[in-house]
Amino acid sequence: MIVADPKPFLQVKGYLENFGKVLIVGCGTCTTVCLSGGEAEVQILASGLRIAFGKDGRRKAILEDCVQRQCDEEFILPVLSRVESEGIDAVVSLACGVGVNFLADRLGKTPIFPGLDTTFYGAGMQQGLWAEMCAGCGSCIVAHTGGICPVARCSKHLLNGPCGGSEKGRCEVDPANIECVWQLIYDRLKRLGRLDELRNLMPAKDWSTASDGGVRRTTREQLYELK
Amino acid sequence: MSMDKNFPGSLKIPAQDVLPTCSAACPVHTDTREYVQLVSKGDYEGALDILLKVNPFPSVCGRICHHPCESQCRRAAIDEAVSLRMIKRFIVENTREYRRTRRKKPERTSQKSVAVIGSGPSGLTAAMDLALLGYGVKVYEKDTKLGGMLAHAIPRYRLPAEALAEDIEDIVATGVEVHSGCCVGVDKSFEELKKENDAVLIAVGLSESHSLPIPGTGSKGVFLGVTFLWDVANRLYPDLGESTLVIGGGNVAIDIARAAKRLGPTKKVYMACLESREEMPAWKWEIEEAEEEGIEILNSWGPKAILEKEGAVSGVLFRRCSSVFDDKRRFSPTFDDAETNLVEVDSVIIGIGQKANLDFLGGSPVAVSGGRLQCDIESMGTSEIGVFACGEVMTGPGSAIKAVGTGHEAAKVISHYLETGELLKLPDRKVLDIGELPAATADLARRFERVAVNLTEPSERIKDFSPIEPVYTEEEALSESRRCLSCATGAHLNVPNHCAGCLTCVRICPFGVAQVRRTAIMPPQQCQTCGLCAAECPAFAIDVLRFPTGEMKKAMQESVSGLDFERVARPFLIAYCCVNGTTSRKYLKEQTAGEISDSGVLRVLVPCVGRLSMADLLSPFELGADRVAVISCPEDGCYYPRVEDWLTRRIKRTQKYLDQIGVGGEYLRLFKMEGSGDESWPKIVEEFRAVDIKAAVGH
Repeated sequence: MIVADPKPFLQVKGYLENFGKVLIVGCGTCTTVCLSGGEAEVQILASGLRIAFGKDGRRKAILEDCVQRQCDEEFILPVLSRVESEGIDAVVSLACGVGVNFLADRLGKTPIFPGLDTTFYGAGMQQGLWAEMCAGCGSCIVAHTGGICPVARCSKHLLNGPCGGSEKGRCEVDPANIECVWQLIYDRLKRLGRLDELRNLMPAKDWSTASDGGVRRTTREQLYELK
Repeated sequence: MSMDKNFPGSLKIPAQDVLPTCSAACPVHTDTREYVQLVSKGDYEGALDILLKVNPFPSVCGRICHHPCESQCRRAAIDEAVSLRMIKRFIVENTREYRRTRRKKPERTSQKSVAVIGSGPSGLTAAMDLALLGYGVKVYEKDTKLGGMLAHAIPRYRLPAEALAEDIEDIVATGVEVHSGCCVGVDKSFEELKKENDAVLIAVGLSESHSLPIPGTGSKGVFLGVTFLWDVANRLYPDLGESTLVIGGGNVAIDIARAAKRLGPTKKVYMACLESREEMPAWKWEIEEAEEEGIEILNSWGPKAILEKEGAVSGVLFRRCSSVFDDKRRFSPTFDDAETNLVEVDSVIIGIGQKANLDFLGGSPVAVSGGRLQCDIESMGTSEIGVFACGEVMTGPGSAIKAVGTGHEAAKVISHYLETGELLKLPDRKVLDIGELPAATADLARRFERVAVNLTEPSERIKDFSPIEPVYTEEEALSESRRCLSCATGAHLNVPNHCAGCLTCVRICPFGVAQVRRTAIMPPQQCQTCGLCAAECPAFAIDVLRFPTGEMKKAMQESVSGLDFERVARPFLIAYCCVNGTTSRKYLKEQTAGEISDSGVLRVLVPCVGRLSMADLLSPFELGADRVAVISCPEDGCYYPRVEDWLTRRIKRTQKYLDQIGVGGEYLRLFKMEGSGDESWPKIVEEFRAVDIKAAVGH
């Protein structure tokens, strides 16, 4: 899941100073699950903006919407037509950056602003806590590390760890909150009886799948039609 | 019947065909949950409407119902059943004026007429239903008073005449034509009735006591139970001598014994029955109350002979009853003649059961066999077309409320017959209920003691026939009504396609009820309606059926939109108040615009403020409130575990947000009641309105 955090309220308010009719669009998938961009947060932000602008003596129309996913065309079509038909001056997206981009590409002359800061691909560790688990590097190496990713979970992204900053299983960057992933990998491989894996030094990683060569695209040939 | 095992988690709500256990157990399926909830909101009139919808005898039932609803109350799994009968009694005794105003005489729309023989609960219920359907209805009662056994056989300390009169006045007001003091078969023949009417309903009940086939029953000082009770009800007190023995172990026998005790508080009253203590058919609480009053119960004895001296009773000779039922639970007593017991008494009252007096059918074609009216239980028809039966004459001995139930059914079949000329076969009377409260859920629920009332001291109550049970005070009724779990009106996925399966509901539910199987499921049989999941659902996909916050918001908007803000006293404060703290309905009533303007306070009542979402906490500010107070239960007063904690965190987040917005977090505050809501709400809101927040935070 993609994790995102709400932007500071005043930052979002600042984006909207010059617009009279604003539509806030939530996303019903990842940001709903990480409690930053679902129906509830749409209402909370809308309510906050109405109160705040009201206090400044300015009446703005703050409208609300939420779609199942902002990263697929069919789901956002109703939003696009709403923007058109209702004369929306600006849109705030409570999706991850993907949703913001995807909407921006399709919004013509209407400006869009992010309501969230997208942070990472993560998992829910417990109620109200998420942690990064994957970096989306494009060539997964966890087959050799017991299923645990050092690219995402090592503060230095070391492929052959741990470093000297590992102490009692914690990472020196923030010992209270961060576990040393290489300790986790060691413990796990030990449990699996595969500690030998650690004797094979990992060669330099091919990062071309991560960020090299421009925007990454992927296709499913059985469904994708070349235009 | 329970559907728990067959359909876990699949029960849809609102389910019209699946009832809470209380309603399912009630013979007329009173919407118990609804009337109790209405009481908790202070709407006693609405609660009375619910009662009267299915039961024309709520005053009677508030006094004497054996309350199968309570016996099946799911709260018993947590602590003790909700005191439903007492709440019912509170309702009827606090809505008398309203009850009179709501009476209306229906228009007679049919030329057809029905004669009802007997004015007990079944006959009068059928009569009223038929009158409401537009038929002409005549009720024939051999006695001068209406009510049947309710009027004559239930002692006044349990059912005062005024309580019965309230119910009967309602029924008569529907235009039922009453012929009291008219004994069918004596004053008017059954054939005449048949000829004059399109249908006849026999609802004569079981008005005569069985006697015993033993020597001595003709002696002076031997009374039959129903006759005795009738005499007592009509203040024709018989001479019972210095000591009395009542034969029988059922509820009527208890009534007889307790009535006998009241005729001579210093005299000795015994009860003797075949059954062991555990087997006695009388209700446990009745037996206990009888014993408190000094009645001695002799269990497992069968009367062999009533002994007499000079024609008058001198005692009863018993033999040991070794067993009452055979291995198939059929009544088949066996005795041990070797063990006997002689109880010396001056009088004997036989209360072993009743039978119908069907003499009026002599010579008519309506079939009677072995002293019993032949009646088809499905169609309620007798052997004669157009002649129907209901109540105990059809079902055998039962309760008042069961008789009411058959009265309703009789009206239904008779109406069908009058319209079509055909008999209606009533469908299977079984209903589905939501099943028991699972122990795992019950264990997590907080316990709250049932509001008990103190009966008059036994030594006092045996002095006369004054009612022995006080009615709930308003505070007690409100408090007890809040113990109701309002079963199966809890959280449900209102907008399923909004659910992202985020698991927040699962993780926050203090009862371990919520699950996610693709989307969230809150099994209504288990949900305790705290509303935490609805408050925290990031998709606003969950609602609480019992208290949809969307409607609360709408009502709040309406209240505010009616205000002239120029005139509203400032600071204008909206107070979310936990309804569970009120001790009267003073603050439960809707405020007028004038009251809100003058006081500068709008109260929004919430059954547990823990269910307010962050959006709910913000919306008053949007509506123009200067300050928002959230007033929760007193310390440890909340019905739900952990709610206070979650609410506190939610309020903190909202306060921080209000700081960012520029309103200031200090303008939202969480308060705890001290004592009742009635005492503390005005104090809290006034103090909060008076605080100079700007000065306090140094703006």
